[in-house]
Amino acid sequence: MKNPLCTGYESPFGMSRRSFLNQLGMGLGGLALGSMVNPLKAVTDRGPALSGTHFPGTAKRIIYLFQSGGPSQMDLFDYKPRLNQEHGEELPDSVRRGQRLTGMSTSQASFPLAGTPFEFKQHGESGAWFSETLPHMTSIADKMCFVKTMYTEAINHGPGVTMMMSGSQIPGRPTVGSWLSYGLGSPNENLPSYIVLTPKVQKGQPLTSRYWGSGFLPGRHDGVRFRPEKDAVLYLNNPDGVSRLSRRKTIDHLKELHEYQVSKQSDPVLESQIEQYEMAFRMQTSVPEVSDIRGESKATLKLYGDDVAEPGTFAANCLLARRLAEREVPFVQVFHMGWDAHSDCPGNVRSNSEKTDQASAALIKDLESRGMLDDTLVIWGGEFGRTNYCQGKITETNFGRDHHPRCFTIWMAGGGVNPGYTHGVTDDYCYNIEADGVHVHDFHATMMHLLGIDHERLTYKYQGRHFRLTDVHGHVVKELLA
Amino acid sequence: MIFSIQGYAGQWRYGCLLSMKSRIVPSLILVNLMTSSLIAEKAPLSFNEDIRPILSDRCFRCHGPGAENQRSEFRLDTREHATADLGDGFFGIVPGNLEESDLHWRIWDEEEEDRMPPPDSNLALSDEERKLLDRWIEEGAPYDTHWSFKPLPKSVDAPSRESTWARNELDQFIEESFASQGVVPAEESSREKWLRRVSFDLTGLPPTVPEIEAFLTDESEQAFEKVVDRLLASDAYAERMTSEWLDVARYSDSNGYQRDHERRVWPWRDWVIQSFQENMPYEEFVATQLAGDLFPDATQDQVLATAFNRLHGHLMEGGIVPEEYRVEYVADRTHTFGSAFLGLTMECARCHDHKYDPLTMEDYYSLSSFFANIEEAGLIAYFSFAVPTPALAISDEKTDKTLEKTQKKIDAKAAELKGVEAAPQAKAAFEKWLVSKPRLDWPGREAWISFDEREGENFANAVAPDLPAISPEINKLVPGVYGNALQFTGDDKMEVFDAGHFSREHPFSASVWVRPNQHAPRESIFSRGGGADDAASMGYEFMLMDGKPTASWIHFWPGNAMRVRAKEPIPAGEWSHLVVSYDGSAKAYGVKIFLNGEPMELETVKDHLTKEITSWQTPGRQRVREHLVLGERYRDRGFVKGRMDEFQMFDREISELEARKLYHMKPDSPLLGTPLEEMADLEPGDLYSHFLATAYLPTMKARAELQSARAERNRIMDGLEAISVMRETEDPRPAYILNRGAYDARGEEVTANTPSALPAFPEDQPRNRLGLARWLTDPNHPLTARVAVNRYWQMIFGVALVRTPEDFGSQGSNPTHPELLDWLARDFVNHGWDLHHLLRQMVLSATYRQSTFGDLASTEKDPENLSFCRSNPNRLAAEMIRDNALAVSGLLDDDIGGPPVKPYEVAASFKPMEPDEGEGLYRRSLYTLWKRNSPAPMMVAFDAPKRDICSLKREPTASPLQPLVILNGPQFVEAARVFGEKLLAKHRGDRTAVIEDAFHQLTSRKPDPEEVEILGNLYEAQRQEFDANPADANALLKVGYAPISLYENPREHAAATVVINAIMNMNESLIER
Repeated sequence: MKNPLCTGYESPFGMSRRSFLNQLGMGLGGLALGSMVNPLKAVTDRGPALSGTHFPGTAKRIIYLFQSGGPSQMDLFDYKPRLNQEHGEELPDSVRRGQRLTGMSTSQASFPLAGTPFEFKQHGESGAWFSETLPHMTSIADKMCFVKTMYTEAINHGPGVTMMMSGSQIPGRPTVGSWLSYGLGSPNENLPSYIVLTPKVQKGQPLTSRYWGSGFLPGRHDGVRFRPEKDAVLYLNNPDGVSRLSRRKTIDHLKELHEYQVSKQSDPVLESQIEQYEMAFRMQTSVPEVSDIRGESKATLKLYGDDVAEPGTFAANCLLARRLAEREVPFVQVFHMGWDAHSDCPGNVRSNSEKTDQASAALIKDLESRGMLDDTLVIWGGEFGRTNYCQGKITETNFGRDHHPRCFTIWMAGGGVNPGYTHGVTDDYCYNIEADGVHVHDFHATMMHLLGIDHERLTYKYQGRHFRLTDVHGHVVKELLA
Repeated sequence: MIFSIQGYAGQWRYGCLLSMKSRIVPSLILVNLMTSSLIAEKAPLSFNEDIRPILSDRCFRCHGPGAENQRSEFRLDTREHATADLGDGFFGIVPGNLEESDLHWRIWDEEEEDRMPPPDSNLALSDEERKLLDRWIEEGAPYDTHWSFKPLPKSVDAPSRESTWARNELDQFIEESFASQGVVPAEESSREKWLRRVSFDLTGLPPTVPEIEAFLTDESEQAFEKVVDRLLASDAYAERMTSEWLDVARYSDSNGYQRDHERRVWPWRDWVIQSFQENMPYEEFVATQLAGDLFPDATQDQVLATAFNRLHGHLMEGGIVPEEYRVEYVADRTHTFGSAFLGLTMECARCHDHKYDPLTMEDYYSLSSFFANIEEAGLIAYFSFAVPTPALAISDEKTDKTLEKTQKKIDAKAAELKGVEAAPQAKAAFEKWLVSKPRLDWPGREAWISFDEREGENFANAVAPDLPAISPEINKLVPGVYGNALQFTGDDKMEVFDAGHFSREHPFSASVWVRPNQHAPRESIFSRGGGADDAASMGYEFMLMDGKPTASWIHFWPGNAMRVRAKEPIPAGEWSHLVVSYDGSAKAYGVKIFLNGEPMELETVKDHLTKEITSWQTPGRQRVREHLVLGERYRDRGFVKGRMDEFQMFDREISELEARKLYHMKPDSPLLGTPLEEMADLEPGDLYSHFLATAYLPTMKARAELQSARAERNRIMDGLEAISVMRETEDPRPAYILNRGAYDARGEEVTANTPSALPAFPEDQPRNRLGLARWLTDPNHPLTARVAVNRYWQMIFGVALVRTPEDFGSQGSNPTHPELLDWLARDFVNHGWDLHHLLRQMVLSATYRQSTFGDLASTEKDPENLSFCRSNPNRLAAEMIRDNALAVSGLLDDDIGGPPVKPYEVAASFKPMEPDEGEGLYRRSLYTLWKRNSPAPMMVAFDAPKRDICSLKREPTASPLQPLVILNGPQFVEAARVFGEKLLAKHRGDRTAVIEDAFHQLTSRKPDPEEVEILGNLYEAQRQEFDANPADANALLKVGYAPISLYENPREHAAATVVINAIMNMNESLIER
């Protein structure tokens, strides 16, 4: 009987926890690198999958401002005057090229082009285009790195978001944050390494907890959602009537009991549990502390806008993301919902811009003023773009837009991306990519590269296969790197 | 070029790789070779145990069986390939000759760019492994069939060894490995610990104190057997086994994907419980779930069992391409079949030949085609509650009888109608009627739009002058057959109100002139319902499909619908007159279509309509789009540039005569006028049937009665709850290899077959799921029994013999005890796949009786416990942790089966729900509502899988979120409170007694004095806390819905609550020791 190869199922109970730690030459601090430190599992997992990064990365952490629903690229960033010139005219077959549409508009008898109702101007030294709906973002134009030529195969939200998060349209794969938690662990032993902030008011295409799931990675790499409610984390607060002191005493006595039992019979499982309970107790303090913004200056609060006072708004979540980044949480995922503009696209773009523009820009400025922008990568974008043709009825001033996977815009800032740079060119109709397409896998590869990870070398063996976030694809887009 | 190899990173490297330079053996390697030859003096290597794992993990990715994606011409997966002449005198392996074997040189090459595996591949070989490969080549490079593909041996002998330790054959195998590993078994655990372990393992519940005491005092030989028999006979056993199976079956009470609406699939879960209650042989358990619908004279329960195949996610997201997801569902069934029963990962072979296992794409699609032959849609209806087809309407004996009775009534009424029509009285009445020179307009006309008059968006409906039909002005008026007609854009409908509200027993007819602009796959003339795919087409619809008039009545397309289609198209660019008539029978024979007055030849496309066609509503129960629409349909293709004139609808089946007349006469002409001579052109038979249909009271009455008899039966059918199951189509769906796994990239056609590396499909079995089930449960099948006993071993011992229960392929682990695995599997089959027998052997073994604390030296020697020289300290499953608290506190409601429930924790899930009140809070955890997108948070915190896919193993982890659940979750706090109240009353406030009793019940052992003292201190400390803050005590005692404590001293009770909750958090409460 021999030790089979590298299958990751070693028993956690084989040796005393201490002797294990001693063998690895690290104490508890070292072990705590494992995210959401998992005393039982840490013994089996040997800490993070990577010891350090593959090469020095430029980013230490990521804040991903996910724009769920699919923002309209040609109404925000990708200016296409030709659409305005041909407003109401039929989408030429030479542009559509028989490519598949969603089931919502595929049966339409006609596909009239819709120009943007918004004024576009260039800003900053880079001359980046912005629609008038994004007045605040224009002020960070030269910090931003645009990709105008993102593309995906998914044409609907569920598969599309799942693809952006996990590199596969079909549920079951780990999401980006889980991969990072698995690969890098967490530098903060009191907070999870993968935190998810969702809007309190949920309108639009529903989110599902799978979007931050760990797939086939161990469950502790799941994103932990901080809720804008009393219990930011599941059952974080003591039950009514149990004070912090009372809880401290319980934990102490439980520890005494367990230590007594260990003294009778050495037992690594028990030793691990003692640490697990201590960490839970610490989290009961650290989580409320990070969520409490009362210490923020007036200037900072003003920067993010009025919404910041209302927990669960995009602005409040952006500020919270910065606070988590300050505490070295490596991956914070902020969700904004509502960009799904099937009808009244102009109204949709206007209202979602209002909700996201100021706080997005504020986050960049805030990080910069704290010297954190250099090693914090901020990403802003959705799961796909929108069609240049109208879904439903078109009028002079109003129209809807269906999902469009063949080109869409995202932007990034900080963390070692190329500032003031725009990557890729779409055609005059904003329908197909003319040059430098960036597939979701390429985007993931680049994101990992910025963190110092070779996306081909962070793998996990599951069902006999060495899986990776980018499946068997993906290339680092060098032009995006500063 | 000899063999070309691509680096892991993706760049190709070509060339003759072995320069003379690299043939110079570095001295380091010489040393290694020497050591390697020393090893060679030992027993010969085993290919399966020593070599295949290395080749598979490090080499097969590029040099394995994946022929399609092969990055190199060199293959290592078979000896034939590995030893083939590669040209220019090069050989990958020359058996027995290291010098001539390139493999040897390449793995030891010092030049990074030539070394295999490529250094950047993450797959580097250790020196040990390289030496093993060398030795293997020297020993002649023998290959062997992968162990799990070898047939299950007809018999396996247990090792015979003098033993005082072994209690049964299973132990004899285990003891054999002790000897070879040089370890000794752990001591027997205490009786209490054994009882606790076996109670949780077999029933998921703790032993009660009386059960503990009975066992401790039972000095009989059979004390252990008696306990096991008691547990196996309990309902809790069936629930525990079901709970384990739900992970395998990816059971969920919701549809998953994005919308994740709840679905009613728990009747299948109850079938599983019942099967375990009856100890159904595993073989039958599996076969029924796979193919119960195909059993001869299948019972309702057998069909219900096949819901197993439909428990995957179903997408409800308007806009997707339904075919893409239909293919996905077939794939899910195939993967589940592969993992659950074969222990093989089929997924890889979906896009390319498997890189590690001998599974080709052809194998994959041949196997998956068994699972494709049902009438299902890739999209479930948003605008209707219809259950995705094929579906089983679940009935009971009483309802069956009523259905039978109502069917008889329908038959009787139909016969009565025929009788009335044939009776001489009818003929006489007809003669009389003719003489009366009847004048007759169009009885039963519901709508008549001539399209001649338009006021803005309004069009006159001659039948309902106050309720005009509406169409936007973008649909233009054009010259018609009579006056104007309307030309439709295809995107803009005409809506007709108060007409066409027909359920499926209601006969009706419609007449319209149409001038299609072209032949298209679909053009909607008129319809009623929530739309196309998003509503599963519920309703009725009259379309042109490639120009062929097509009429459909649909509950859920395609599995519950009736559709007839004309064999010939009508011309494009010309006016045609169409009439469709329907008799209310819900059968294809009840539909007629007339072109220009003449009946068209029809073909039946679907003839299976058993449920209502009119319940369009959103998930929020909002009714939608229920009006009759012309020329356009929601998310369907409209009548693009098609013209319509003179649309009429009748609330009865019109006669052939009328159909002819509608074509020949202007619509405002009376059907029958005076004098009679005007009717001279009529066939007497036509006139007679028209008389019967519209003017003869006895037949009209009989028709009405037939309709209400049908309505009666239909309402009963409509009231039956349905569940998605399997129902084989008559002809198998053509199956293709899908290139890259893409739904729309069809390659070669394949036929249903089992993978070529496994036993052949039996000649005498049908090529369908039933045949597949028979193939799977053949007594000699190499995988089925091995996979099953391995999974149950894991359930009992915590870790499996094959530690990758989901992967018995070459990338999985080898069994730690191959002979034991085979012996157990063969014994299981020989005993009629009897699970009781299998489990009894395990839990009554000496192996199982061992303590979790092993012999120290042995533990050091075997830290992973591969030899099973002690018991593993398994963390209780999420369900057990919660059920334990409920059981000891007396809150557990032990009802069996039924709809899922919502305990407290659903309020804290991602999509918070209102918890139940009352018993729903206290049912066993397997009944907790499982929502795929926001599973019960406590289950997730304690490592239950998400149930997106078949899962055969839970990975126990420990996170800080877990203590928070047990310390703060209302379920646990309430249980502690209720338990505390009981114990305080029972022991009249005696703290020590309360502590001892709680400890005993929660951990199944009595505490020692030190433990009591520590807990007593905690008790006192908490009491002081509550004395200082009495309001806190009252607040704590209000947690949960259970009645508020009547105990005299709330502060004492609150302190007891905290202490008991602390004991719940003790290691021994959570972990099997």
